[in-house]
Amino acid sequence: MESKTSRFMRKNMAAFMTIVAFMSLLLVWELVARFTNAGMFLPPASEIISKFVESFTVPIGKHRMLVHIGVSLYRVGVAFIFATIAGIFLGVSMGYSKTVEAIIKPIFEFIRPIPPLAWIPMSILWFGLGDQSKFFIIFLGCFCFITVNTYDGTKNVDHVLLGAARMLGASERQVFFRVVLPSSIPYIFAGLQIAITAGWSAVVGAEMVRSDEGVGWLIVMGMTNGNTVQIMVGMLAIGIVGYILATAMAKLEGRLCIWNQQQGI
Amino acid sequence: MEDKREIKVKVMNLTKQFDELLVLDDISFDVKKGEFLCIVGPTGCGKTTFLNSLTKLYQPTKGEILINNEPVDLKKHSIAYIFQEYSTMPWLTVEENIRFGLSIKHMPKELADQKVEEYLEVVGLTKYRKYYPDQLSASMLQRVVIARAFATEPELLLMDEPYGQLDIELRFKLEDELLNLWKRNGTTVIFITHNIEEAVYLGERILVLTNKPTKIKTEIKNDLPRPRDIVSEDFVNLRNEVTDLIKWW
Amino acid sequence: MKNKTAKYKYRILSVCSVIAVLFIWELVTDILHLISPMMLPSPAKVLNTLIYKLTGGVNPDGATLLQHIAASMKIALGGYTVGVLVGVPLGIAMAWNRKFEMFAKPLFDVIRPIPALAWIPLMILWLGIGYWSKVGIIFFAAFISATINSYAGIKRTSQVHLWVASTFGASKRQMLFKVAIPTALPMIFTGLRLALGSSWVALVAAELLAATRGLGYMIQVARMLGRPDVIIVGMITIGVIGYLLSTVLEKLQNKYVKGGK
Repeated sequence: MESKTSRFMRKNMAAFMTIVAFMSLLLVWELVARFTNAGMFLPPASEIISKFVESFTVPIGKHRMLVHIGVSLYRVGVAFIFATIAGIFLGVSMGYSKTVEAIIKPIFEFIRPIPPLAWIPMSILWFGLGDQSKFFIIFLGCFCFITVNTYDGTKNVDHVLLGAARMLGASERQVFFRVVLPSSIPYIFAGLQIAITAGWSAVVGAEMVRSDEGVGWLIVMGMTNGNTVQIMVGMLAIGIVGYILATAMAKLEGRLCIWNQQQGI
Repeated sequence: MEDKREIKVKVMNLTKQFDELLVLDDISFDVKKGEFLCIVGPTGCGKTTFLNSLTKLYQPTKGEILINNEPVDLKKHSIAYIFQEYSTMPWLTVEENIRFGLSIKHMPKELADQKVEEYLEVVGLTKYRKYYPDQLSASMLQRVVIARAFATEPELLLMDEPYGQLDIELRFKLEDELLNLWKRNGTTVIFITHNIEEAVYLGERILVLTNKPTKIKTEIKNDLPRPRDIVSEDFVNLRNEVTDLIKWW
Repeated sequence: MKNKTAKYKYRILSVCSVIAVLFIWELVTDILHLISPMMLPSPAKVLNTLIYKLTGGVNPDGATLLQHIAASMKIALGGYTVGVLVGVPLGIAMAWNRKFEMFAKPLFDVIRPIPALAWIPLMILWLGIGYWSKVGIIFFAAFISATINSYAGIKRTSQVHLWVASTFGASKRQMLFKVAIPTALPMIFTGLRLALGSSWVALVAAELLAATRGLGYMIQVARMLGRPDVIIVGMITIGVIGYLLSTVLEKLQNKYVKGGK
């Protein structure tokens, strides 16, 4: 029989290795940054982390870190909500009605391949330099994914289920609300997950092109001022919030779609 | 009647434990060369664990398994294993699937081509050689798997309830095909099933296993002449005898 | 037969829909002058500009459309190729080798949530505003998608298939090349497609911020010079090329890769 310690080690090997991996990376980073020429380009991790923590009390530019994050989240949030409503509505209509599909799909397919950021110049022309143009960009980024996935989900409802419902005497309205919609939910959530990540990416991009605050502003200002530490602090914030958003959405799906265990990454 | 064939597989004190769970408990027996041995037992009694231990997919906790008096070495001993689950490779055609084992053993191309042709013919799938598994029926899939196994002309063939998913008519047909291949190649076969009739129809000897922790309960010789008639009195008696043994699980 | 006419009916509906949109667009801009040409140029003007730039017109940004396309594609494909050449083997290695996975995956998981765009300022600071910084950014975009999908593909290898190979005496190497990688191929291809999409998007972003050539640069300059017609031409071109790239890969996948989506 294995000893207690070796059993403990085996089971927690993964966690242990993770810690080792990070520690060694940070160590190498610190050494390279402090003792070689690369230090000009690569500030030590310790400096970045301390600056990051500091940013919550000491403002960068006009605001503290939480405000920057808050502003970016606000922009994503608003656009995301609109995109969800519009996207689900459009996706369901296209999936359920062949007529709507025939009319809308070609136009949608034309708009879809254009990356949201490519809309920035047009968007600024139409909406000016403020928040509205950013909402528009983020909306586009999210909306396309949500629509496509919802459309997929609505179109791919199991025919057997539909047939069974109709045979039991359900009206079209009932079929729609009680079979089509519920079985599309996993697909809709898949779309929402991709969309939130795309939205977060879009807000960073939009803010980099034009804004006065927010996480995208942080990193682009860092670039303009040659302040590598600020860029990396910004990237750290972006990564952390991005991760939280993605995980939260996944957890939400786990809660609401208990019957549908998705595997994979 | 004494079985004068030499011993092919020697299982000695095979024990397998997963953490707290003792599955196989000190199992020992021999299998003779060219013998067709059936193993029956209650569901979940570790039959699959046993086969997996035999093929080194699981490491035994205790005990040893010898083939031709040497420890099991998958590169040296040619073993083929037909799993319970469908195991055709979906990205290969029928003939590529049959070739699979041969290519792993680095068989030269001409020889391999020959074998593939031969076994395509034997299982009657020559017409379907370019088809992919998703285009075939369940029985055809099992035939591909059997052809793949026999093409490597293994010295030992392990089968884990291979016909469980098929209907009776198909099962009888495939059982007969299996017996033909067995006779033709002189392979040693260990065949696991929970279907008593199948065990009595196929096996020269039947091992009955107990529930977990699994031991060998008893061993029954089956001398009925072939081809066996499942409605003959002898057959039915033997079948009942085995069933009674199992009833006390 | 009923199905055929139904399909036909929907086709016509689609065509009408597109024509209707174009018609309304033209109506509202050129004919009724409801929207100023500064906000939304008419389809006629856009078409005009498109032809102009396709046939050697260098105004207002200093290069023809084809030159911009070439510049963008060069960078995109460069970064993409390096990205997938690193990402696919990395994903495979992480999924196949447990020890490597325990070490490398946490590090990868930390980089993953950072959008490729967010690397732009760092890359520009490190590598300037020329070719290499953009290749670096696109590398990240492609590399992440390629790694994730290759990893997922290998992880899906069926235990039974591995057992079949193992019983036949296959070495670990044979199991990797004869079972794991063929199983993963469809997902690896999906990763390649996604990587191409991300690369193209990252490219546009990078060019908006710092470039002297390329489609992103073209539309940025067009905005500053008040030429929305050029902007739209640029946007359409970006969309069309992105679409073509994706379709090429899809066709390749359908032809050569057997297996699920």
